[in-house]
Amino acid sequence: MPLFFPQEDASDVRRRYKPDVIKGDMDSIRREVLEFYASLGTEIVDKSHDQDTTDLHKCVTYIRDSASGLDKSNLCVLVVGALGGRFDQEMGNLNVICRFSSMRIVLLSNDSLIHLLPRTYCHEIHIQTSVEGPHCGLIPIGTPSKSSTTTGLQWDLNNTAMEFGGLVSTSNIVKEEKVTVQSDCDLLWTISIKKL
Amino acid sequence: MIAMDLMHHSSCFLLPTIPLQRRPSLTYALLVLNQNLPRFTPLLWNHAQLHLCADGGANRLYDEMPLFFPQEDASDVRRRYKPDVIKGDMDSIRREVLEFYASLGTEIVDKSHDQDTTDLHKCVTYIRDSASGLDKSNLCVLVVGALGGRFDQEMGNLNVICRFSSMRIVLLSNDSLIHLLPRTYCHEIHIQTSVEGPHCGLIPIGTPSKSSTTTGLQWDLNNTAMEFGGLVSTSNIVKEEKVTVQSDCDLLWTISIKKL
Repeated sequence: MPLFFPQEDASDVRRRYKPDVIKGDMDSIRREVLEFYASLGTEIVDKSHDQDTTDLHKCVTYIRDSASGLDKSNLCVLVVGALGGRFDQEMGNLNVICRFSSMRIVLLSNDSLIHLLPRTYCHEIHIQTSVEGPHCGLIPIGTPSKSSTTTGLQWDLNNTAMEFGGLVSTSNIVKEEKVTVQSDCDLLWTISIKKL
Repeated sequence: MIAMDLMHHSSCFLLPTIPLQRRPSLTYALLVLNQNLPRFTPLLWNHAQLHLCADGGANRLYDEMPLFFPQEDASDVRRRYKPDVIKGDMDSIRREVLEFYASLGTEIVDKSHDQDTTDLHKCVTYIRDSASGLDKSNLCVLVVGALGGRFDQEMGNLNVICRFSSMRIVLLSNDSLIHLLPRTYCHEIHIQTSVEGPHCGLIPIGTPSKSSTTTGLQWDLNNTAMEFGGLVSTSNIVKEEKVTVQSDCDLLWTISIKKL
């Protein structure tokens, strides 16, 4: 975080960007980092005994079940750091957004954002053209889709079947400010983030 | 257990020298796509008989190969690591890079009119159909630069290995390698513990698996169902030097690459 504010004192930046909660296995956090944030009042939730779920899974569960003082009626979880790195971990993180399909969870990297489009809804995606696009994709992750239909893309789908091993909509282009998607299965929507 | 042909896998290409084996040895083709080169790219290059760049991958080769040999003159390094073919849309490659390699004899195959397939798809098709002088009977395509970057492109690249399921194609990054385990085989994966592991995973990327069975992992599968939205084997650990996998559907195998 201090690297984004090179003109400022690093300690000031760290105090300003203090997490409310640190949660997980605690096998990666450095001791001095843990002590620094604990001394500032960050809640440390140690789940080192639960080896069956990923850190992302634990944190999403925490947000859904425990986080007090948070209005959860219209919640959206923004996640940075879930992509890149070890591929098995990236897949595990994609699986978390598939498993918590009733929650809005957005995975973000420098290059892309990803979120689930549950099959139980028709979707309207309002494209913020100043910050995202034009490259996009619709990914039938985990299940073949017999029928998906879109509007607003360069290569729209029209009751089109998609599956890994066959057609997967990637390197598509957003053409309009509103994209609509309807599908018989959960799809991952992904769009490129502009480098400004 | 259903009697099926065995398919063997081994990351020998990550070793400094490839040991002699009883099985027929593989011929390697190296394909460079447009992301930062992994640190072991020179090693893969040395094992490969064919060296291909997909479009912007040529920029990466030109810019980054000299960085692995800081003591040497950059031009010498570029000449030594000259691709045999540069293929693709040609919308990313810089003019001076294209001219440099063309002047050294690299074959430039311009497919800018074909917008329907990704650079990786075009290059795999080229390797399969056109590449002359390459022993294709036991071919393995090593790909760097297919992961990271734009997520839709990464998924498009995974789809290429799913579509070309009868070919050995390995996607490599600094952190991981990935290849397909087609459902029509029982698989034996010989773990090269000096360079890979212990973290691994089995990913039912396109279809739910009703039944997968493994040996050699910390959390083995035993006729276990897997699917996105349910159980996907990730953050698993390799426990033995031989891992076996059998499944009713195509799985992606992924294992971490050690940072040495």
